[in-house]
Amino acid sequence: MVERRLPRTVGTVAVLLFAAPLAVLVVQAFAEVWRYPALLPQRWGLRGFEVAFEGDQALQATLDSFEVALISTAAAILLAWPAARALARGPARLRTAAIVFLALPLLVPPLATGTGLAEWFIRLGLADTRVGVALAHLTVVLPYVLLVLIPGFNPRLRELEEMAASLGMGPVRRLVSVTLPGIRAVLAAAALLGFLVSWSQYGSSLAVGGGLPMLPLTLLPFVGSDPNVAAALSLLFLAPAVLALLLASRAAREAL
Amino acid sequence: MEARSAPLGGLGCRGLVAAPGGSPVLRGVDLDVPAGTRTVLVGPSGAGKTTLLRAICGLQAIEAGSIELGGRRIDRLPAYRRRCAVVFQEPRLLPHLDVGENVAFALRAAGARRAERRARARALLTEVGLDGFERRAADRLSGGEQQRVSLARALCAEPDILLLDEPISAVDANRREELRELIARLQGERGLTTLFVTHDRAEAAQMGERVALMLEGRIVQEDEPAALFQRPASPVVARFFGSANVLRGQVRDGRMSLGGVEVPVPGPDGEACVTIRPERVRLDPAGPLELRVGEAAYTGTWVRLRLRGEGLGLEAMVPPSQAPAAGELVGVALPLEEIWRIPDFEAVPEEGRRAGVRPRGGS
Repeated sequence: MVERRLPRTVGTVAVLLFAAPLAVLVVQAFAEVWRYPALLPQRWGLRGFEVAFEGDQALQATLDSFEVALISTAAAILLAWPAARALARGPARLRTAAIVFLALPLLVPPLATGTGLAEWFIRLGLADTRVGVALAHLTVVLPYVLLVLIPGFNPRLRELEEMAASLGMGPVRRLVSVTLPGIRAVLAAAALLGFLVSWSQYGSSLAVGGGLPMLPLTLLPFVGSDPNVAAALSLLFLAPAVLALLLASRAAREAL
Repeated sequence: MEARSAPLGGLGCRGLVAAPGGSPVLRGVDLDVPAGTRTVLVGPSGAGKTTLLRAICGLQAIEAGSIELGGRRIDRLPAYRRRCAVVFQEPRLLPHLDVGENVAFALRAAGARRAERRARARALLTEVGLDGFERRAADRLSGGEQQRVSLARALCAEPDILLLDEPISAVDANRREELRELIARLQGERGLTTLFVTHDRAEAAQMGERVALMLEGRIVQEDEPAALFQRPASPVVARFFGSANVLRGQVRDGRMSLGGVEVPVPGPDGEACVTIRPERVRLDPAGPLELRVGEAAYTGTWVRLRLRGEGLGLEAMVPPSQAPAAGELVGVALPLEEIWRIPDFEAVPEEGRRAGVRPRGGS
């Protein structure tokens, strides 16, 4: 069937575009010796990973990054939920202006925002703490999460909530039985995006948390000096993104 | 689940004012639906019917007025405490639940167990003619079937009032009659206090034990269906219910001149306005009026004639077998007992002078 073949073609091209650079990265991560112009490494091995995880700095950075991403995503969802609901259901004229205003943090380089925040965070004792870094990430994560959530609170969901209320369902059960099932896919997308935005933050992490390096900060010095180690760390860095992609495609298939 | 008692009293709305989105839509609505009866709320689009229904069930905030239902004030309660069940224009079924769980949704709201939900859903689905549908996916049903599920879901709540907002309009034309009959039968069996909203005057006449006409945010007349058609309170009411025959003149000594024929009219002398239903205008060669047929239009069941005479224009509905051709001169008789003097003909401006009062709806 033609209508099935087209998405499959698009999917194949997307996978190739996504997979080809990844394949190079995987090879690089396991290449102990790989000299130009050979197509494949001369010697394979785990040296990249061994060097990367010498001491516990990389492992600690991974755990810190994970925790910070979870905190900032959870905080962003809690803050964005009521805002998205109000924006989606408020007067349409206000909506556009509000969305532009709320997206403004995305126009400023996170390093600049972070530098401004660092000034205050040092005074407040938040610099170089996980909460501080999570707060700095929130300035970038929140707009993304909000923008993704807004279309989730569409008129159709509202109609279903009204129906539930008219049949005697109180606010808590309504949230569980109607709102969450209705917004599940959008919420998952917002959470995954929020997590990945925080996970890959460099500028704001550097500004407020130089003494508490997140994974990207740990990775970067190796990019110029030792591509083998950088590739090994990149694989680790990529893991949540790949996982997120798999989960998202599965959720999308379920939704259909 | 708490025990639900039979409704103690009907619905009573007093002076409801509501302005969704800032502009006034309800401008002081008084409406009663006696317990166990079916009232139809009819009016053109934009009159405020849906807003009134949403105000009653708590989905639209009101700025003034009071609502009483089953002997208690409900206007300050949140929607989920008002015990109103709504059948919306669209079925609004939950796509992640099967048909049975959709029907038993009110039981889920009350925290009932699965076995109870299943049993009630099965019984109600049988009642609405969807025997054995409980395991089906809600979004695989036809529009008419979905609306039946929506009806069963509302009945499952055992509400103090059943509110239906044009429930038939999204259904295929040839399934509408069945659904109307089903609603009327289930309502009657249960003695449910019911408010049925429609813009279609024929549907209003058929579905209403009583009919309330709403225009521009007010109830302008509320009575038995036949009374609204035959004894309209104002010219706009007459026109909404399909009578173009609104005739003005002077009453002298209890008589009014219609096209040169003196007709007895009750009430005091002075300026007056009378109406007669087009289907009561009789073609009669011996009739006192002689009028020319200006236009004859076949409407599917009747032929609508526009008749012109000296200082008199009339509309008549006649069976196709008796229809004269355009241009013919016909004798016309006006049965005196069918002439109705409109009590309130100055309070409401003439049709067309103001936007929004133009009668609409099915013919």
